[in-house]
Amino acid sequence: MTRGLWDRETVALLLLAAVLPLAVTWLFYAGAAGMTRLVFVLAVAGFWHLVFMLARAQPPSVAGALAALAIAVLAPLDLGPIPLLLGVSFGVVAGELVFGGWGRNVVHPAAVTLAFLGFGFPAAPWPDLPVQLGWSAAAVALLGVALGVMPWRVVACGAAVLFAGRSVLPLETPVLTAAAVALVLLVGDPVTSAATRLGRWLNGLLYGALVLLFALGWQGAAPVQIAVSAAMLATLAAPLLDELAISLWLARRKRLG
Amino acid sequence: MPTRFPLFRGADIGTIITDQCALTARSEEDFRVDLLVAEGDRVAQGTPVLRSRRDPDIVLVAPVSGEVAAIDLGPGRRLSHVLFFHAPDAGRHAYDVTAANRGDDPAATRALLLSAGLWPLLRSRPFGRIPAPAETPSAIFVMALDTRPDAPPPRLALDGREEDLARGLRALAGLASGPVVLCQDRGADIVDAGGTGARCRIRKVAPVHPHGLAGFQLAALHPAAAGRPVWDVHAEDVAGIGAFLETGLVPETKLVSVAGPALREHRLVRCQPGADLRALTFDIVRPGPHRLLSGSAQDGVEARWLGRWHRQATAVAAAPDAARRHWFSVALRRARRPLPIIPTAALDHAFGGLLPAAALVRALAANDAETATRLGALSLLEEDLALADHVTGAAPRLSAMLRAMLDRIEAEEAA
Repeated sequence: MTRGLWDRETVALLLLAAVLPLAVTWLFYAGAAGMTRLVFVLAVAGFWHLVFMLARAQPPSVAGALAALAIAVLAPLDLGPIPLLLGVSFGVVAGELVFGGWGRNVVHPAAVTLAFLGFGFPAAPWPDLPVQLGWSAAAVALLGVALGVMPWRVVACGAAVLFAGRSVLPLETPVLTAAAVALVLLVGDPVTSAATRLGRWLNGLLYGALVLLFALGWQGAAPVQIAVSAAMLATLAAPLLDELAISLWLARRKRLG
Repeated sequence: MPTRFPLFRGADIGTIITDQCALTARSEEDFRVDLLVAEGDRVAQGTPVLRSRRDPDIVLVAPVSGEVAAIDLGPGRRLSHVLFFHAPDAGRHAYDVTAANRGDDPAATRALLLSAGLWPLLRSRPFGRIPAPAETPSAIFVMALDTRPDAPPPRLALDGREEDLARGLRALAGLASGPVVLCQDRGADIVDAGGTGARCRIRKVAPVHPHGLAGFQLAALHPAAAGRPVWDVHAEDVAGIGAFLETGLVPETKLVSVAGPALREHRLVRCQPGADLRALTFDIVRPGPHRLLSGSAQDGVEARWLGRWHRQATAVAAAPDAARRHWFSVALRRARRPLPIIPTAALDHAFGGLLPAAALVRALAANDAETATRLGALSLLEEDLALADHVTGAAPRLSAMLRAMLDRIEAEEAA
């Protein structure tokens, strides 16, 4: 009869609290330009949340700020306001709001935005992330896992694959930094990552493996581009991985009758 | 979960037979009955009082010796409640148990349990009903473990009753086509494995909620399905069945915990089935409005009388008047139902890590009976999802959505 607190907005607020170390570190390096960009993305995302609230009775979610931060950190630079406006609008609307808002979406709105901007404006340079951002991502992962709002299997398996890859392959630090940031901002989202036990392990594994593959085989790709593409593909594969995990689980249960 | 009653020993637990008690059924159970007594009759404890119209073999018996004070039947002779006044001098009704040969003749045991009103202690899954008289379960789960908050420790209830429990387990084994699984904590064996028959096995479970709920144990070990029912029953009731097969007397009391934030103290009592929750709590309740639940704070239902399968009385503060929200935010909240549930660690823990929580919750919210069945929903009942409801604050409640889905599946199966 009593009610707990792990509803959607609590989880979104805890996630937001968990990413604060990364946000502060990034703002410290990006400065006023970064701040402007973040405010712009927040305003555009907020506008679409407002539109869907008025037109479709979907309450806006704090999770919109999470997506906005991920976009501001990872989106290509020197885009100008119109392309960024288009990209954010497309990602937030087609990636999240048309599905019914955060909690019902299949793909991460920030991942959709970044893919859209990456394909639509290939000339725009991807940002270089300072190495400290990678360390702050470790703090984010710890906080998110400790608060129970980030799937620890995804984060742990992804990080393990990246570090294992670094020890045997010539993996550069910028790639590792970008991969760590994308891991906590995009792949570690509890809604769009896999939701079964085995599926989460596979999801982290797939993300790490894709980063390694792109880092070795994709000539001329920027580190952030590699990380974002791997995150996007890993997110798209999450339902498949869940389905696989559930099929295996059901097969094991066959003998129970 | 650490018990809240570390200092209690069997001897410290008082017996409270409340002055009033009642046989009840909720309206959604659709339990239609024939009366075997009239208002004002004096009945001995254990005398048959009601007979099910649908399955005339199922009877309910008087929970106390006393007087039938009031009979309230709803439309279509659906049982609402039959109220009893306690009168100690009316005695106890003794059944002739020689035919059952103390539990060694399955058919006679079945007939005896049915006629003596002990059958409704059993619960059949899927759907969580009193089992049909002819039903043969593929397994029976005996719960000597209860991890609900403030639940009475079954070890106390079973203290000194090992022989009765073993006899009851042997009798139950005759009713089932498969194993009888006794779920208990990680301590010493509650019952000596030698005396319980070859079909009984002991399963030791981590005493962490929700692992102590029958639903998750049988979902993990022996999932229930339509046409493959699994029963669950509390170990204290099995000991009661064992004692009944020896003496012919229907057990008088069960161990009940009286707890909750609206009480000054918590206590364990032995009281009759269907006891008056007000009488159990009136002297220890804090000032101010409160609600009485039959069941735990999580899965309890607001009631006046202790429910059939409940062993907890919980007093919680009355719900405060809903804060006046702006009409716009109310409209927004209502437009979004069922609210999305984020798959967090809390949700995984609420399903004990035994079932794919997020997929099952999505299937329930989408009313996708086929997927939910595949994922093990038929083994679960409302009480099993109470923890998930509690941690996620789901609206509408997952347990209500599960109940609606189970009812629909049951109707389809029956058609």
